[in-house]
Amino acid sequence: MVSSSRNAILFVCILVGMFTFLQAWNAGAVPSFARQTGMSCDVCHTAFPELTPFGRHFKLTGYSMSQSEKPYQFPPPLAGMLQLSFTRTDKRQPRGSVDDNWATHVTSSDNNMINVPQQASVFYGGKIYDHIGGLVQGTVDGASNTFFLDNTDLRYANNTTVAGKNLIFGVTINNNPTVQDIWNTTPAWGFPSAASSVAPTPAAATVIDGGLGQQVGGIGAYAYWNNLIYGEVSVYRTAKNGITKPLGAGTTTDTVVHDAVPYWRLALQQQRGNHSLELGTYGLYAKISPEGRTSGPTDKFTDIALDAQYQYMSKKHLLSAQTTWIHEDQDWDASFPLGNTARQSSHLNTFKANINYYYISRFGKLGGTVAYFSTSGSRDILLYAPDPVDGSRTGSPNSNGFILELDYLRLEITKFLSLKASLQYTFYTKFNGSHSNYDAFGRDASDNNTLYFLIWLML
Amino acid sequence: MKRISIYVGVGLFLGITLMGTENVKGDESVQGKKLYSNKCQICHGVKGDGNGPAASALSPRPANFTDPKFWQGDVDKKITDTIENGHGMMPAFDLKPGEIKDLVDYLTQTFKPTR
Repeated sequence: MVSSSRNAILFVCILVGMFTFLQAWNAGAVPSFARQTGMSCDVCHTAFPELTPFGRHFKLTGYSMSQSEKPYQFPPPLAGMLQLSFTRTDKRQPRGSVDDNWATHVTSSDNNMINVPQQASVFYGGKIYDHIGGLVQGTVDGASNTFFLDNTDLRYANNTTVAGKNLIFGVTINNNPTVQDIWNTTPAWGFPSAASSVAPTPAAATVIDGGLGQQVGGIGAYAYWNNLIYGEVSVYRTAKNGITKPLGAGTTTDTVVHDAVPYWRLALQQQRGNHSLELGTYGLYAKISPEGRTSGPTDKFTDIALDAQYQYMSKKHLLSAQTTWIHEDQDWDASFPLGNTARQSSHLNTFKANINYYYISRFGKLGGTVAYFSTSGSRDILLYAPDPVDGSRTGSPNSNGFILELDYLRLEITKFLSLKASLQYTFYTKFNGSHSNYDAFGRDASDNNTLYFLIWLML
Repeated sequence: MKRISIYVGVGLFLGITLMGTENVKGDESVQGKKLYSNKCQICHGVKGDGNGPAASALSPRPANFTDPKFWQGDVDKKITDTIENGHGMMPAFDLKPGEIKDLVDYLTQTFKPTR
């Protein structure tokens, strides 16, 4: 109760603070990056958060490009975000499975949920000093009723010439593997950029697919040569303790990684006129203690992924497509002896593909996305055991389906406000292994089909 | 508290919607200099020499408007095409024909080398 009141008051304070601060600001476009560069949001974004080639450059150069010649940014580059949402699942979830708190209202039918807010965030986004910049996000999450340090990416970047061609190089400190990436294929910035936080989701996901977000902190070095080849090597450690603990502030570290977690990224990009194409690979290796333990044997996860992105931009049309495939090898060296898994080793494959189109009019961007997703892997009757809504009758992690999304974007409605309104429908053809009675408690995959309406404001 | 948060959310949405209807931008004529400052200067620079604060990391480098070679051929068409469709790292800008003309006039008057 104390936590609810505290987060509710925090939410109202963030709102009042953002509006007061931004109303007093007599310059610039919308969020802090736009104010810093003096350019409109669509120079860096097709439909936020998807980045344009210029946006990718802005991020790679440490968020420090600025109209100002001064080494620091004044006023400081602060911004805000507010997400309000409505979720409807085809069949109600068991009473009590969604926390009905100050920000989440569950109707009496139990399948309509309003999140006000789903999330409210404040950002420090832009130059810190000279070649150092960052994106630091503090978030009040309505569904989980928490306030925490969300996606954070601090950078030093510079550039030089190698073999007569431009080389951008830098260092990143961040708290979510792939949050530092510049293409919208990898998990942190891939489609969907927002989804219901109260609808059921499949039980299985690879570690790199959000499993370490705010659970780790890390540092990496990257280089981007001649707009052609990008390489990065990073290393992460747990945010439960030590020097990386601040990067997990406000988040309960229930996924404890041991030793260093190496992460790699390699990508090739080609740009021809208004077309750009990227092909790449990324991955990590993590040792994770079961049940949140901090010592003892660990399970091992090796994630290897491929990704590709195509983008076309013209005055009136934006077309892009992203895809990624992630393969994960799982060695249950700790969980198997504990009886948490039925197998010593297993694997998981994730495939995602989406195509996006937007028409640019005087009144905003109107368009949408069609996406397909699939997860498949080894059966395990203990890991994916029967359980209402979240479990599996067959022990299979296999899930697949489609997402249809309609979007309307209105950037810079005023000097300090941009809007994205999304209507999204997710339908499952298979959920946790089956089409019907997947959880052994009579629930069908289609019962989790989700209608989701989102108002997303950037300030 | 839950009711208050819903009221706050609905109020915000309505307020923002009304703000949006009041302020459909883009009807007023905009000076070429203002357009240049807001959209071009960070890369092309105050002097138009392609050395703006963001230029050093860009490849290829932004066009140098003070270079006589830039002004060869049908420059008006070249600039208009580039603004409307983008070119390389430079994104397309959704400007009205009048705004593009203001910008071309400003570039010509300010940066074109005199013989």
